[in-house]
Amino acid sequence: MPVTTQAQRVLEFDNITKVYPNGTRALDGVSFGIRTGSVHGLVGANGAGKSTLIKIGVGALSADSGLIKWRGHPVRWGRPNDATRAGVAAMHQTVPLVPALTVIENVMLAATGWRRLPATAHRDFEQLQARMDYYVDPDAHVSDLPVGQRQMVAILQALASGADLVVMDEPTASLARTEREVVFRTIRQLAANGTAFLYVSHFLDEVLDLTDELTVMRDGKIVDYGPTSSFRESRLAQGIAGRVLTGAAPSAVERAHETSEVLLNVANLSSPRGLTGINLSVRRGEIVGLAGLLGSGRSELLHAIFGSDAARSGTVEVAGRPVPPSPRAAMRAGIALVPEERLLQGLIAESEIWRNVTLAHLPALSFARIFPSRAKEWSSTVNAIHSLGIKVSSPDSLVSELSGGNAQKVLFAKWLLTQAEIYLFDEPCHGIDVGAKEDVVALIRSLAESGKAVIIADSELRELLALSTRILVLHRGRIVAERNSRETSEHELLLLSSGIQGA
Amino acid sequence: MSVDIQLSRATSPRLHPQSMRRRLLSAARPGNAGIVYALAILVAVFTISSAAKGGSNYLSAVNIGNVLDQSTSAGILVPFMTVVLISGRFDLSVGSVGGFAAVVSLDVVDQYGIWAAAVLAVGCGLGFGLINGVIVEYLKVNPFVVTLGTMTAVSGLTLVVTGGNSVMATQPGAIAQMNALSSAFLTANLTLILAIVVLAYALLLAFRRTRTDGAGNWTPVLVAAAAGAALAVVAFTVPVTVHWTRPVWYMLLLTLVVWVVLRFTVVGRRLYAVGGNPEAARLSGIAVRRYRLVAFMLSGAAAGFVGLLFAARLSAVNPDALSGLELTVIAGAILGGTSLFGGSGSVLLSLVGTVFLYAIADGFNILNLGSNYQDLIQGMILIAAAATYTAKARTRRTTTRAADKPPVMSAGAETAVTAEGSPADPISEDSAGNR
Repeated sequence: MPVTTQAQRVLEFDNITKVYPNGTRALDGVSFGIRTGSVHGLVGANGAGKSTLIKIGVGALSADSGLIKWRGHPVRWGRPNDATRAGVAAMHQTVPLVPALTVIENVMLAATGWRRLPATAHRDFEQLQARMDYYVDPDAHVSDLPVGQRQMVAILQALASGADLVVMDEPTASLARTEREVVFRTIRQLAANGTAFLYVSHFLDEVLDLTDELTVMRDGKIVDYGPTSSFRESRLAQGIAGRVLTGAAPSAVERAHETSEVLLNVANLSSPRGLTGINLSVRRGEIVGLAGLLGSGRSELLHAIFGSDAARSGTVEVAGRPVPPSPRAAMRAGIALVPEERLLQGLIAESEIWRNVTLAHLPALSFARIFPSRAKEWSSTVNAIHSLGIKVSSPDSLVSELSGGNAQKVLFAKWLLTQAEIYLFDEPCHGIDVGAKEDVVALIRSLAESGKAVIIADSELRELLALSTRILVLHRGRIVAERNSRETSEHELLLLSSGIQGA
Repeated sequence: MSVDIQLSRATSPRLHPQSMRRRLLSAARPGNAGIVYALAILVAVFTISSAAKGGSNYLSAVNIGNVLDQSTSAGILVPFMTVVLISGRFDLSVGSVGGFAAVVSLDVVDQYGIWAAAVLAVGCGLGFGLINGVIVEYLKVNPFVVTLGTMTAVSGLTLVVTGGNSVMATQPGAIAQMNALSSAFLTANLTLILAIVVLAYALLLAFRRTRTDGAGNWTPVLVAAAAGAALAVVAFTVPVTVHWTRPVWYMLLLTLVVWVVLRFTVVGRRLYAVGGNPEAARLSGIAVRRYRLVAFMLSGAAAGFVGLLFAARLSAVNPDALSGLELTVIAGAILGGTSLFGGSGSVLLSLVGTVFLYAIADGFNILNLGSNYQDLIQGMILIAAAATYTAKARTRRTTTRAADKPPVMSAGAETAVTAEGSPADPISEDSAGNR
C-alpha cells in the first residue's frame, strides 16, 4: 500500500475488524485512507463488507477493533451525529427521505434552528442547484417524485451540508444517464475544491471513469488497491469476483426464432399511468429488451402486460387467447413478472425463503390444492437454492437477511417455480454484484433457449444489448423504435431513447 | 423447476424441514410463547396469594370455568380480530356491532324463535363487516377511521332502534331456548379429547409416510399410536372431565378452526402474505382486497354471534351492551404478540392473551383488591408486552440485518447445518414459531 502522509488523509481506517453477533466476520483487518480532494472508489461483490465499512465510517456502527482517524486524529463516533458534526455526509443506497415533506425541506432537514424553513433556505437551495446545474421544484412533495429524482434530492441533501467527506453508496443505481452525468460533474467539481468522496458502486465503468483511487474488497478484506489509472475492467472484475470473468457472450441472435410461434401479442395497449398505443409481439425463444430513459414507461409497460395495472386498455393475448387485466389471469395464462423493487414488490422481507419461493405456486405444492405440503415446499426451495446458487444457510433464513444478489435469486426462484411461459423482467440486474449478475444473465438466456418468451426492461444499455435479441425503445410511453440488437449500438439506443429520431 | 441449469457455487442447505419436535420446541421458547408463561406465572401468584389470605382456591375447577366463561365474549372475537390484524387491517366496530346484534336478536326471539334470532344477529354482523370492508378496501379509506365511524354509527343505530330502553325476551319458550344456547353446561372428558387428537396425529403421520416413498421411519407413528391408545384407556378408567358452559366450547372450537385454516391451508399462508407485503402478494396473484374484505366480514359475523350469546345469557340487554369490548379484544391480540402492522400473529396466543386479561380481573375479585387498580395494572401490562415484542423485533433486526452481510454459508459452516436440522440460527426459528 502506498505511503501517504497523515495530513493528506481526511479519513483513515486502521486495521478495522467487525464481527456481527451471529458470528459473521464482515470486516477483517481493513486499512485504507481517503485523501483530501480525491474521489475514492470502493468496489466489491455484495457481501464483501462495503456497507459495513461505510456504516462504521459514518458512525452508524462501531468497529470491534481498530482505529478510525479523522484528519490524522483517532476518533470514536458513537452516533451518526458525531460523524456529521465532524464533517462526514452520507448518502445511502436506500433513500432516507421524508415523503410528506417538500424537496427543500428534505434537503435542509439537517439545518438547525427552530424554524421549519429558515429564511435563507430558498436562496441556499438555488445556489446548490446552480452549483450542480440540476433543477428540481423545491416545493414539490418528495412523495410525488419518481425514484430517479428522489435519488437526486438525496444527493442534494448530502451536498447541502458542505461536508469534507461525502460517502455515497450506489448513488446512481436508479438514475438515468443525464442525471448521472450531473452527479459526476458535481462530484468532480467539489473534489477539485477539496471535498473528498468515498464512492461505492457496482457500475465498474462509472467507477473507472470517476474515481482517482480504487479499493477492492472481497470477503471482508482489501484485495486490491491503487490509483484508478492503473486499473482495467478485467483487473477490477477479477479482484471483485476472485475469478476470471468471461465477458458477456454475444446473444444468440443467430437462432431461428423468426419462425417460432408468437406467444405474446399486445395490441394498442394504453394506460393512464403513461402508456400510449403499444403494439408488440414476442415469439418463443426471443428476448425482447425495453430501452428507455427513466420514466419512459418501461416498468409501466410490464405491469400493464401483467395486468397489475388494472386501468390498462387494449388487448394482451397469449397464444391467441385474450388475457383479462389481473395478475391472477396473467399467471393462469403463463405470464410471470419479476418486479423491480425486490423487497417492496417481490418478496416478503420478514418471512422465510421457502415461504417466499412457493407463494405464487402454492396450490400445486399442496395436498388437495388446499393444504400446503411442507415437504414439497421445502424440496422445491432446496432445488432452487441448488440450481440458482443461492448462498444461504437454510431455506428457513429470512429474506431480509439476504444480500441483494441472493434476494434477487430468491425472487427468480419464486417465478421459475410457476413454470410460466412468458417472463417479464424489470431491472433484473439492479443492485446485485458481478457474480450474481452473471448467473442472472445465464438464467435468462437459458429460459429463452428452452423456448420461453422473455421481455426485459433494463436501464443498462450494455446489459440490454448483450442479452436481447431485439430491442424496443420507449420514449414518453410510446415505442419509438425497434432494433435488432446486432444492428444497433449503445450510442444509437441512447439517442433514440432521448427522443432523437433517425439516429 | 422448469429450468434446470446448474449455476456456480451451489451450496448445500439442510435437505429436510424442521422436525415436528423441533418446531414445537421453538414455538415453546419464551420469546415466542411469552404470554403462556406469563399466564402460568399469574395463575401461580394468584393461587398462592389467595391461599395465603385464606380465600377461595383460585385454581379450582369452578374458578377456571368461570374465568373461561367470562372470557368468551372477547375470546370468540379475538381469533377473527387476529385475522383482521394479520391481513394488515384494524376493526374497532366489533363491540357496537355485537351490541346491535344483541338488541336485534332479543327483538325477534319472542316471535320467531332462536334460529331466526341467530340468523339475524350473525347476518347483521356480516352486513356491517361487509360495509366496513367495502369502504376500506374499495373506497380506500383508512380502516381506523372507517371502523371508528361504524362503531359510533352502529351504537347510535342501537339507540334509535331501542329508543334508549333496554330490550328483553318475555316468552318462556324463547328464554329457555336462549339459556340452552348460552348458559347450559357441557361436560367433556378432556383425556378422551386428548387421546383422539393424538390418535389423529398418528394417523396423519402414517398417511404422510405412505405418500412419501414409504421408506420413512415408522417409529414416531408407532409411538404416537401407542400414546393415543394409552390415553384412551386412561380416559375410560380415570377420566379427567371438565364442566364448562357452551360459549367456552364455542370459543375453543372457533379458535381451533381459525388456527387450522391459518396454519395448514393455502388461504392461511396467503393471508400472512397479504399482511406481510400487500404489493408482493398482489403481484403473486393473490386477491388482496378480497382477503381483507372477507376478514372484515368474518370479524363482523363473529361480533353478531357474540351479541347473540350475550343477549341469550341475560335475556335482556341495555342499548350500550358490549361497548368497549373491541379494546379488550385488541389488547388480547397484542398480548398474544399479534403485530398491528400485519403479517404476523397467532390466534392461539391471542386467545391466551385474552384469557390472561380476564384471569387478572378474576384474581382481583378473589383477592378483594377492588377493581380500581385493575385497569391500571392491565394497561401497564399491555404496554410492557408491546415493548417486549418491539424490543425483541429490534434485537433481531440489529443482529441480523446488517446489509452487505457475507453469506453465512461457506465450506466450514456446512457441517453445522446438516442432518436432522441442527439449528441454523435462532432467528429463523423465532419467526417460524410465531406462525
